[in-house]
Amino acid sequence: MSNGKRVLTGTYFQMGNWACAEGVIAAGCEFVAGYPITPASEIINRLAQRLPQVGGTFLQTEDEISAICSAIGASWAGCKALVATSGPGISLMQENIGFAVATETPLVIVDVQRLGPSTGVPSVGLAGDMVQVARGSHGDYQIIALCPESPQEMFDLTIRAFHLAERYRVPVFLMADGFAGHMREQIVIPDEDRIEITGRKIPEPGKTTMERQDFLDVDVAPMPVFGRGFRAHVTSSCHDEHGMRNLSDPEVMHRYITKPIDKILNHRDEIIQVDADYSGADVALVSYGTVSRSGRAAAHLAQAQGLKVGIFRLITCWPFPDKEVREMSEHVDYMLVLENNRGQLYPYIKAEAAHACRVEFLGPQTLGQIHDPEFILARIKEMIK
Amino acid sequence: MSVSAHPFRKYMRSHVTRTTTCPGCGNGIITQAILRAIEELGLEMDDFIFVSGIGCAAWIPTPLFDADTLHTTHGRPVAFATGVKLALPEKNVMVASGDGDLAAIGGNHLIHAARRNIDLTVVLVNNGIYGMTGGQTAPTTPRGVSTITSPYGSLEHVFDICAMIAAAGAPYVARWTTYHPRQMMRSIKKAIQKKGFAFVEVISQCPVQFGRASKLGKAVDMLKYYKKGSIRINKARDLDKEALKDKIVVGEFVDTEKPELASEWIRLKKEVGGYIS
Amino acid sequence: MMTSKITIFRQSCKGVEDCGICIFVCPKQALIESDEINEVGYLPPKVTDESLCTGCQNCMISCPDFAIVVEKEPKKSSDKGGSKDE
Repeated sequence: MSNGKRVLTGTYFQMGNWACAEGVIAAGCEFVAGYPITPASEIINRLAQRLPQVGGTFLQTEDEISAICSAIGASWAGCKALVATSGPGISLMQENIGFAVATETPLVIVDVQRLGPSTGVPSVGLAGDMVQVARGSHGDYQIIALCPESPQEMFDLTIRAFHLAERYRVPVFLMADGFAGHMREQIVIPDEDRIEITGRKIPEPGKTTMERQDFLDVDVAPMPVFGRGFRAHVTSSCHDEHGMRNLSDPEVMHRYITKPIDKILNHRDEIIQVDADYSGADVALVSYGTVSRSGRAAAHLAQAQGLKVGIFRLITCWPFPDKEVREMSEHVDYMLVLENNRGQLYPYIKAEAAHACRVEFLGPQTLGQIHDPEFILARIKEMIK
Repeated sequence: MSVSAHPFRKYMRSHVTRTTTCPGCGNGIITQAILRAIEELGLEMDDFIFVSGIGCAAWIPTPLFDADTLHTTHGRPVAFATGVKLALPEKNVMVASGDGDLAAIGGNHLIHAARRNIDLTVVLVNNGIYGMTGGQTAPTTPRGVSTITSPYGSLEHVFDICAMIAAAGAPYVARWTTYHPRQMMRSIKKAIQKKGFAFVEVISQCPVQFGRASKLGKAVDMLKYYKKGSIRINKARDLDKEALKDKIVVGEFVDTEKPELASEWIRLKKEVGGYIS
Repeated sequence: MMTSKITIFRQSCKGVEDCGICIFVCPKQALIESDEINEVGYLPPKVTDESLCTGCQNCMISCPDFAIVVEKEPKKSSDKGGSKDE
């Protein structure tokens, strides 16, 4: 079916994991490492077949730790790299997620979330890692995370994830869930020239390691990839702008932490995307991912009954869209946060909004199942009584 | 003085002027053997990417070597190196790290890299202890030796790392001690040239931690111990287990050829996608 | 008779007391502990009698700190590492 084409332009009826894999190929990724895990395995199954067709490499590793480490190694060797896993795999990868952040390594990590804690239920979707991906590694840091709500977005946001990873030299998470990964829907893959591909900036040759700035630039230092004579010094230890280890200068320690954080936060306006439609609304339904589809359905039901209900969908959940939430809080009277969990992003939303409006949380009737729109509507009515 | 600088300074970053090892530490002997091997092969630093984990031995390539160096999380250099090699198959990728890093926390990666026969040169520095963190027991600490985490004497048994790597299928496996720098250097040369997973274990003195814990003494005492206690594999083969009990068996254990992973990937890409690397 | 030239980089040396590997591996007793400390307080070795040196380079090859260089034919401009013994 594929014949070595990167972009399979056309219209398909396929599952989200398939769309994600095609997004990986279309984005120009050349190295994928993975370990089988439900409900993400279909992504690596397809990539194992597609990657060599387009000159890429697929490595099935002995565990998830090896997967992320080899992907980081490949990224430093110049490739766009990706790992695809689920919650338990993310837990295993945490130490090296921190490595990727600290060494400013472009990397895309797909998390097809499932019901936990622990082994839980592999095939049931649940947004269980929303905070884990941002705070699960030790230390203070910022990453980027995107929330697809459909198989189409599993294609589109994979492309965007690579763009952001390469542009900002940071791990970018695609926060899918078992529903988005396994549901089948229409997917449109556009023409190749409609897909914007970004590659990391590389330094000009000619300067030595001590003459270049390879790290800790809030506007993103060019990446001295291996094999081109840059003689890069890449270390997980605290380091200075040249990448050289420094464990004694407090100013270096301070910059080692703050610069990579500011690198993301200073560019939050370019990074953050939300889908908001709450003008004239009294109530805003705040959600992300597959739950936002139910939220949209509930909003339509409510509007049909004359209630002024709007929606706010986080397409980017990290960095957290604090400004956007705060602005909304000044325009609505109520916010109902919908998540398929016990409230992972809810505290962050509440922190930005509670001073100006009433913020409440609604999980599904049964965790692991998307909310019924009627259930949401009933809660809206109760809330505004 | 007839030379103004050591001839190997050309391989070192100019701002790194001192080695950071303890006096008498074997790491520096291994560092020089690696550089000699590179020199004798007529290779340059830009032909290599060096990867190391956490621990004293991991400081062999970093920050000293003026080359692409990747200093990873503890136990993981082989996994990182595998990704580097698959993405840059024409480069030599060398891992230098310690026994705790590579064979304890990193054991699984080491076994599988050997099994999948990825073209790496791995120099495992075995000093029998966790030196950098203050002298805790390692899987290579002899039974009965008292360290800070086995104060009543270690109750466990020692790993024969070479045997494990040979069993995993590596096409080149050798062991030397720091008392054998020339042989070590020749094995490292062979390992670099070997198209496949090439493993060189080096028993190396840690006088500050292991020397004290084992009561073997200072660096020179430990080298005397290696001299007395080592036996070549060709002689060891004729001896029984009891006679070999406290001996260090040195030499080349495996030297074969088998299909190597990075090359197989190049072949596969050509076949499947018509890609020429 | 081969001539050898021994250069000791005293400031790189970590001292005979806790190292002294060069003295141990020298087959000709050409090296001995000196009595002048270097800038970090170690006592490096010194050459006893350079004519004893056969140019085996054992000391150079076994020095962990790149603190000693032995040239076999100092008039040549190239510098080769590695011994031809064994």
